[in-house]
Amino acid sequence: MRQELSRLLSVLVTSATLATAPALVLAANEQPIKVVATFSILADMVQEVGGDHVEVISLVGPDEDAHVFDPSPADAKALAQADVVVINGLGFEGWIDRLVKSSGFKGQLVVATDGVDPIEIGQTKTQDHGKPGHDQHGHDQHSHDKHAHDHNDHAHDKHAKHDHGDFDPHAWQDLANAKIYVANIRDALVQARPSARAQIDLRTAQYVAQIDALDQATRARMAEIPAQTRRVIVSHGAFEYFAKAYGVQFFSLQGWTTEREPSAADVAGLIREIRRDQVRALFVENMSDPRLMSRISEETGVRIGGELYSDALSLPGSPADTYLGLFAYNTDLIWSTLQQ
Amino acid sequence: MDVALRLKDVTIAYHGHPAVHHVNGGFETGSLTAIVGPNGAGKSTLLSALAVLRRLTNGGIERHAAVSRPGAIAFLAQLSGINSDFPLRVLEVVAMGAWPRVGALGRIDRHERDAIRQALHEVGLDGFEDRLVDELSVGQLQRVLFARLIVQDAPVILLDEPFSALDASTTHDLLGVVTRWHQEGRTVIAVLHDLEMVRVHFPQTLLIARELVSWGPTAQALSSTHLAQANQRSLAWHDTASWCEVPGQRPARTQEAT
Amino acid sequence: MDALWMPFVEFAFMRRALVASLALGLISGPVGVLLVMRRMSLAGDAIAHAVLPGAAVGYFLAGMSLPVLGLGAFVSALLVALLASFVASNTSQKEDASLAAFHLIALAIGVTLISMRGSSVDLMHLLFGSILAVDASALILIAAATSVALILLAFIWRVLLASSFDPLFLMPFGQSGKWANQFFMLTVVLTFVACFQTLGTLMAVGLLMLPAIAARSWSRDIPKACVLASLFAMGSGLIGLLLSYHFSLPSGPAIVLTAGLFYLVSLLFGVNDGLLLRFIPTARHRES
Repeated sequence: MRQELSRLLSVLVTSATLATAPALVLAANEQPIKVVATFSILADMVQEVGGDHVEVISLVGPDEDAHVFDPSPADAKALAQADVVVINGLGFEGWIDRLVKSSGFKGQLVVATDGVDPIEIGQTKTQDHGKPGHDQHGHDQHSHDKHAHDHNDHAHDKHAKHDHGDFDPHAWQDLANAKIYVANIRDALVQARPSARAQIDLRTAQYVAQIDALDQATRARMAEIPAQTRRVIVSHGAFEYFAKAYGVQFFSLQGWTTEREPSAADVAGLIREIRRDQVRALFVENMSDPRLMSRISEETGVRIGGELYSDALSLPGSPADTYLGLFAYNTDLIWSTLQQ
Repeated sequence: MDVALRLKDVTIAYHGHPAVHHVNGGFETGSLTAIVGPNGAGKSTLLSALAVLRRLTNGGIERHAAVSRPGAIAFLAQLSGINSDFPLRVLEVVAMGAWPRVGALGRIDRHERDAIRQALHEVGLDGFEDRLVDELSVGQLQRVLFARLIVQDAPVILLDEPFSALDASTTHDLLGVVTRWHQEGRTVIAVLHDLEMVRVHFPQTLLIARELVSWGPTAQALSSTHLAQANQRSLAWHDTASWCEVPGQRPARTQEAT
Repeated sequence: MDALWMPFVEFAFMRRALVASLALGLISGPVGVLLVMRRMSLAGDAIAHAVLPGAAVGYFLAGMSLPVLGLGAFVSALLVALLASFVASNTSQKEDASLAAFHLIALAIGVTLISMRGSSVDLMHLLFGSILAVDASALILIAAATSVALILLAFIWRVLLASSFDPLFLMPFGQSGKWANQFFMLTVVLTFVACFQTLGTLMAVGLLMLPAIAARSWSRDIPKACVLASLFAMGSGLIGLLLSYHFSLPSGPAIVLTAGLFYLVSLLFGVNDGLLLRFIPTARHRES
């Protein structure tokens, strides 16, 4: 009798343990994945893909400039406690290597632009307005580079270091690239939390569908505008990917990064181009100093069409506070300004 | 005789140590007085107090009505207090003497310009108007400063060691100016080191060694007794001396200083 | 030759930048010379840094609004100057020590404020300015500050020079010339408030001091040195802008580098004590 009781007891204890163990493991797994994204656009993407499974912090906040960001000890701390860190790559975050090293971060480092076909600096006309006249190509090929196609052959290994100025980092301005970003993020999250795979995949699929839809819509709208008119002035060269994908020509004052101060030659060159090509739309950007653009607007007589969101989301509650919102907002603004 | 400046129990102290201790007396209008004493005796301190450059720790200086207006007292500081490498023109420096009359922003008109030229002539610096001050020798600079005093035309003139480091010729010329001031009835007081010069040229002498030793006609004031007294006074600061009792002040202790 | 004036004909922003630098050069001459002569060369640096916290506060209140920035800069620089003066007058500290103390504190406050709320781009703009972004209202501010400073300077000129030569002279008259010194500091502050919008606080000192020091190599006479310094400063503005235009250099530093070149040339060849002139046989002198 005692033997049967003890056997029954052991069976009960074992089953109880077996029953609760997954629950315990599940409970442990319900802690959200701690993700640190370098800037607000990435953070938004991570939030979309991860949903409740992630807790995201963005180092460079809305309306802030990641090109000249200066990390603080609080940032290092956040990094140290993170499970996953998502960076843009392509030289966008000149300060990230030092920060990662000094924080002692040991988790997963995701480069969102892995697999993206990058634009080289200097490849397109607008980064180099010292050069004289450039005739207008068709609306989908305005860069007179000879080696664009070579990039498909480039193999980028996961942590390739690019010197500042080699590649244009603003790849998120092409929605097709956004899908690559999302895929990389998804992979990282699933690796960090395999149990959430199904939900993450579902969210990813939904997000990608939205991206696709927006992409189609954008192409359609831009195509409505005649090629000659599709020219726009901005503060810094953040929109080359947009230019290439959607056929708009961007002129900028500061090249691909805001770190350098524009010289009189830069300003003069831009004004000359605007006058010569009769560009009609001028935009300031949410994270850049608008004063110079105001001067250029005054001098060329081109009205400021509004504020574009290039490298950062806007503050919560405003139209560009999500990545897709940002994209749609920019497109609308460019479209409506060029219509006038 | 009028008293131009009267000293009443004047004490001037630095950080609790007296440089000038309980001095009483008066400078008569039109007198020519030398202030002499050992080094560190408080001579320059006393002079700057007379020039209203320094606050008194105790006591007071009464000024005769005629001497109360600003600019009535002209003061020539020791040369070391002047930035002689600042390149002003001689004319500009001498013109400073006119400011009490004209105001610092007033115009220097022809009348003043003539006065300046005259003053420069008196000190033997004809034609020096456009010379830069930092090019001048010490003697020439002192002549310029005397010219400024002349232009000031003040009833009371205070001179702090006006002849130290000067050559004989300059000293002689400037002494001549001092004598002329005395003849014009101005009250002149000068801190000096050269006792021989004092005996010859200065009718009155104030001998001080922190405290007043003697004050009066030079021959008596500079008697050997008085000189001995002055030299005997130890002029080092006594850190252990008691605090002086002053009427009106709460005494820290009740004994008099030695 | 076209290269010299075409940029200004073609572009309004170049014209405005030129007008701004000419105005600034004009006032920088005399103020710089007086600073040098009164052995206050480093005081210029101090005031330049002292504008930073006020400008930072102005920036947070109103963004890059020039009048507000200017006002903030003015207030904080004035505060530092007055505090330094007060401490120097009432303690045994000399003015250079108290000024050093207060301006360093101000600088640290300024940088902290900006780091807390702004980005380093904003800091860069405040430190280095943006002469190319001068608009009509900025020009008016510069013109106003420059004019007031010039008038003040004319007003205190004589007393300032006299008290530099002989600080004790005015004291018996009850004036002590201190007010002249304070007005002079006011002039310095005004000059910097005008300058820092265009050149930034770091570069503004360069335009103030380099032409003044250079001018001293050519003339010891103060009025002449002032005129020369103004010419050097204005010339630096013109040439610096042209360099920025033709060689794609950042404009603020280009202007100051040009001023530096004026200094080096003056150092070597200046009539007063030029370094290279020592190798030339002595000039003739008149008979005694």
